[in-house]
Amino acid sequence: MTERNTRLMRHVPDEELHPYLDQALSRSQCVEIETHMAECARCSDRRDANAALRDRTTALLAHLTPRSLIIPPPYASLEARRIGMPSFSRWQRSARRAAIWAAGVAAAIGTGWTGRSILDPRVAQPPAETLAATAPIVTAIPLATMAPAAEFTPAPEEIAVPRPNTRDVGLRPASTRRVQAEIMPAPVVRFISSVLPTRVDRNLDETPVAGTVSRSPYAHIWRSVQWEEALQIAGSGLPFIEGMPVVGVLLQPGGPGERPMVIVAQQDASGEVIQSIEGPVAKVTDLLQRQSMPDVRSSTLSRTPPDYIDDRGTVRRNNRMMAVTGRLTTDSLNALAKLATIR
Amino acid sequence: MDDLERLYTTHYAAVVRFLYRKIWDADRAEDLAQEVFIRAMAHRPEKPRAWIFAVAANLARDEARAAIRRKKHLTLLKDDPVPLSTPDPSADETVERDERWAQVNGALAALTERDRDVLLLWDGGLSYPEIAAQTGLAVGAVGTTLARARKRLIEAYDRTEYTADAARS
Repeated sequence: MTERNTRLMRHVPDEELHPYLDQALSRSQCVEIETHMAECARCSDRRDANAALRDRTTALLAHLTPRSLIIPPPYASLEARRIGMPSFSRWQRSARRAAIWAAGVAAAIGTGWTGRSILDPRVAQPPAETLAATAPIVTAIPLATMAPAAEFTPAPEEIAVPRPNTRDVGLRPASTRRVQAEIMPAPVVRFISSVLPTRVDRNLDETPVAGTVSRSPYAHIWRSVQWEEALQIAGSGLPFIEGMPVVGVLLQPGGPGERPMVIVAQQDASGEVIQSIEGPVAKVTDLLQRQSMPDVRSSTLSRTPPDYIDDRGTVRRNNRMMAVTGRLTTDSLNALAKLATIR
Repeated sequence: MDDLERLYTTHYAAVVRFLYRKIWDADRAEDLAQEVFIRAMAHRPEKPRAWIFAVAANLARDEARAAIRRKKHLTLLKDDPVPLSTPDPSADETVERDERWAQVNGALAALTERDRDVLLLWDGGLSYPEIAAQTGLAVGAVGTTLARARKRLIEAYDRTEYTADAARS
């Protein structure tokens, strides 16, 4: 048998066929394979089948692209960003880590000390005036009093302290979404009140939603609270869009064993306020239907998971809902709703 | 124009796509892609193409971990949305595109991590030796792994499409 015949008889193994199709073989190897395929129908069929598979994969993956045209920003802008980046030497990084660690330890000790001073009855309590001055202000705001926006100006202390974005904004100018606008306290309540009903709904008071029977006379009252207090009351139930500062939290206490209804107002980079509403399905739907501002829209509503367990230890049926509302387009609100999590 | 600048021009989109398919956030993918090239400027790696994809993979992994930390409290269930407003005129196209996107995404998620990595690196334009260096595979095994990944992707996609067609009819 001649050398040529031997080469022709040996079918192309998979280990060579795939790199051949992906042009990962040397020129001489390619020539050898092509010579064989010219004579071998079986291998040429395999080649065609694998090539079709490769092309179809490429076509499918093309669907998973963020946008049809991706244009790189000017290379010079990257250079400028690189020069602006802080460069730490190894010892500086170590010192920074050590400082962070020390600060953590100090904070832990401080927390323990404070906790002890609060819990230990032997520690003298400060005078009542001092407590009043330092306690977080929680103002009960009935729905009716919130309606005229211009008349209600919240005290600066009432605005929930936004969670600072710890990322270095200066390092990321490409994404305008991450540029934090200055937080303006004034529009908070005005915008929220545009979503809230402008009158007290008697049905809501007199006919409680199934499963949300409340024994508290204040269960239907909306309150403006600090983020931390809202977290404390709602457990882990605050709707939150990552990357946007929180400018206000409104809370309506729920029935016994139930999470309250919550509205979290956040401000986007353009200054627009977006409200994320989370609560029982009937209440959220009702609230959205009764809002009267024509330019305030809502995202598609999302169901949230079962949020509590009843007395028998059974997880309650999924009966809560979340919506993101604001003066943006529905598409934008839907996109924001996708980013939302429940804190 | 130096080598890195040329690479930036030719491969920026590929890096963005590679990151997007790992973290599913278009803006963040662009941010991270730029961060990759900024790091490349500082390091001046010998094999820049393989290097940028390796760094991109690491950044995507960090990002995914951070995302899990952020979302571990509670995840919204999107299975039962309640439409509030009337759909837009172009809603059909959007729905179709979103459906296709979800099917391909689901098919990609059905692959093993190694298969997925090899497939995405290949789609990003890396050579067999570069893929081998990044994934720890032998160069000779890249081709078969890639072929297997392609086959599984197509099978998974066809399965979801068949299910979707059945549901529609």
